[in-house]
Amino acid sequence: MKRIIIDREKCDGCLNCNIACISAHEEGSNFYTVNMQSPEAETRNFIKFDAQKGYLPIFCRHCDEPECVLSCMSGALEKDPLTGHVQYDESKCAACYMCVMNCPYGVLKPDKQTRTKVIKCDFCEDKPDGPSCVKACPKKAIEVKEVSL
Amino acid sequence: MNSNFSCKTCASADQKLETFISNLSVDTSHHRMEGQSVKCGFGLQGICCRLCSNGPCRITPDGPKGVCGATADTMVARNFLRAVSAGSGCYIHIVENTALMLKKTAASKGVLKGKVALAKLAEIFEINEADEHVCAEKIADMVLADLYKPDYIKMELVEKMAYKPRFDRWKELGILPGGAKSEVFSGVVKTSTNLNSDPVDMYLNCLKLGISTGLYGLTLTNLLNDVMLGEPSIRLAPVGLRVIDTDYINIMITGHQHSIFSYLQDRLIQDDVIEKAKAVGAKGFKLVGCTCVGQDLQLRGEHYKEVFNGHAGNNFTSEAILATGAIDAVLSEFNCTLPGIEPICDELKIKQICLDDVSKKANAEMKPFVFEEKESQSNEIIDAVIESYQARRGVVTLNMDADHGNDDTLTGVSEGSLKSFLGGTWKPLIDLIVKGEIKGIAGVVGCSSLTAGGHDVLTINLVKELIAKDILVLSAGCSSGGLENVGLMSPSAASLAGPKLRAVCESLGIPPVLNFGPCLAIGRLELVATELAEAIGVDLPQLPLVLSAPQWLEEQALADGAFGLALGLPLHLGLPPFVTGSPVAVQVFTQDMLNLTGGQLIIDDNAKSAAETLDAIIEKKRKELNI
Repeated sequence: MKRIIIDREKCDGCLNCNIACISAHEEGSNFYTVNMQSPEAETRNFIKFDAQKGYLPIFCRHCDEPECVLSCMSGALEKDPLTGHVQYDESKCAACYMCVMNCPYGVLKPDKQTRTKVIKCDFCEDKPDGPSCVKACPKKAIEVKEVSL
Repeated sequence: MNSNFSCKTCASADQKLETFISNLSVDTSHHRMEGQSVKCGFGLQGICCRLCSNGPCRITPDGPKGVCGATADTMVARNFLRAVSAGSGCYIHIVENTALMLKKTAASKGVLKGKVALAKLAEIFEINEADEHVCAEKIADMVLADLYKPDYIKMELVEKMAYKPRFDRWKELGILPGGAKSEVFSGVVKTSTNLNSDPVDMYLNCLKLGISTGLYGLTLTNLLNDVMLGEPSIRLAPVGLRVIDTDYINIMITGHQHSIFSYLQDRLIQDDVIEKAKAVGAKGFKLVGCTCVGQDLQLRGEHYKEVFNGHAGNNFTSEAILATGAIDAVLSEFNCTLPGIEPICDELKIKQICLDDVSKKANAEMKPFVFEEKESQSNEIIDAVIESYQARRGVVTLNMDADHGNDDTLTGVSEGSLKSFLGGTWKPLIDLIVKGEIKGIAGVVGCSSLTAGGHDVLTINLVKELIAKDILVLSAGCSSGGLENVGLMSPSAASLAGPKLRAVCESLGIPPVLNFGPCLAIGRLELVATELAEAIGVDLPQLPLVLSAPQWLEEQALADGAFGLALGLPLHLGLPPFVTGSPVAVQVFTQDMLNLTGGQLIIDDNAKSAAETLDAIIEKKRKELNI
């Protein structure tokens, strides 16, 4: 199963992963055209800065025992048994945000504009080259690796 | 050295060059592209600001403004105006040096090879002076006087040089430039920390810089050089790596200031210097053209048949030219002199001498050109190059490619030589356009880059699409270097043109892509466009004429682009000039510019669709002219 593995030491905080994520979810856009000022622009990954530890890349881990899935009452969040990725079905979501409250890493968030859905990493399942954030990282601080469970 | 470089090189439209570079054991730009393939999204959109210590600030959903409050529109405009100012400064440096050279050449009663250019300038500048040296000095003084004016005093030659309808429009818009050097200064000041935040004001400022860059940096540099070095005349010439002759001591020249080589290139073919070369086992000296100064020598090649062996390639061919091992020295005076040549020169024991400190290479000898010392300096250069030749030949392995390039590139095309070729009048060309035998004209200009598909890839694909649509292509800049090396400037390329253009080319024995030489010659394209517009009696935006800088590379190209927009011409770029993060920039460049100057920016990295867009614009303009 594939996961995004983080090497925190390598992160420069350039936020290219943010642009890549927003672009991947704005249909037909690319790095030149993605609208960073759109109210709909949402990133699914975050870089926090800590004065002691430096940059902290925060990405969805598609956990083995995902708290978000366990706390989801409507069935909108499910762990795919084949890929191991936690996928979100917006049509089933009741916007109760139990997942947001239960995510131990603080990755999940309600969408800014309507507050009716959850913004969550989908591992760019529709992209043949894999997660856009990984491709866009100039430092290789995030990489897709095969992990065994 | 060079043990740690990528084995994967980027694509080139020039297949032979791509193969040659992929087999090299030295690191080149083509190798380094892979390591730089991940691009910064904020940089690409122009929404990163490094103007103060609160930054760098970037526009993100959570940070829609910089710490100072600068919006994406302000950031993009500041970055863009800074780039255009720098680009303008580069060209203004070139015209300043060229005018100083003409002034000193004239004052010392030196040889002035271009009588026609001298007379033309005298007429434009309204100088009535029989003595050619006095006349030339007056011309140089008038140019310099304008360049050195403060920004609040308008340059006087703009009205004399510019096409009247354009001048009037620029005046209405309040974008007539003051002293060209001061305008660069103003552009830099305006874009510093917490100064101008008005994007529209800054884009108008870019147009102003475009006018001073175009009329002085481009057009006048050509004409002043023509006075000293001779006017271009049309001929067939060899191009590509094949032009390097290992029997000679070879000097590769890079830069944009042809007149700096003026004395040296004559000196290299004098008997005593040839004897010096023979004494060390060479047949003599040859200059090998590279970058725009090579294009300039090629353009005026008729005057330099003996010393100039031909143009080998453009900016991103320079490393390959050195890697042949047959170049004994590099003389550089401006860009595009890539830092990447330095380790190659070290490894292959190639002497580097810089003649202008603006392009000082880290490991090169600095020998700033001094007019009064040109005789002794030239002798010193010649001795240093001979020493290099002796130290390296026989020691360094040669890696030649005699197949690269061709022997029949049509060169020497200029506003003057083309008109003469047509019989001293533009009427035959206008008739062909009116009849539709030539649908329109595309100026495909600017640099070569390694983006947009690879080295020269978009340029060459676009040009093939355009000529197939019966659009005559005129090229100036490193784009020419790529186009000639793949044979599109050879008469046989007529077979790639659409049926009507093909018939015209075959009857005249010319290729469908005409080689105006260096990027400076974008100024010559402006002269051609203006003369055509004058002959027809319309303004420039009405002509069935489009511009494209498919693989623009650098700040100078952006200043050129600002000139194109000021002229009111549609301008296509393969990749956006780091402005797409600003809705105002996109609106101004792609829509509002039509109402301001008549110009318009078109961004498209697809050769086919870009050609279709340009074709549609030409068709529309033809309809509006009722042809």
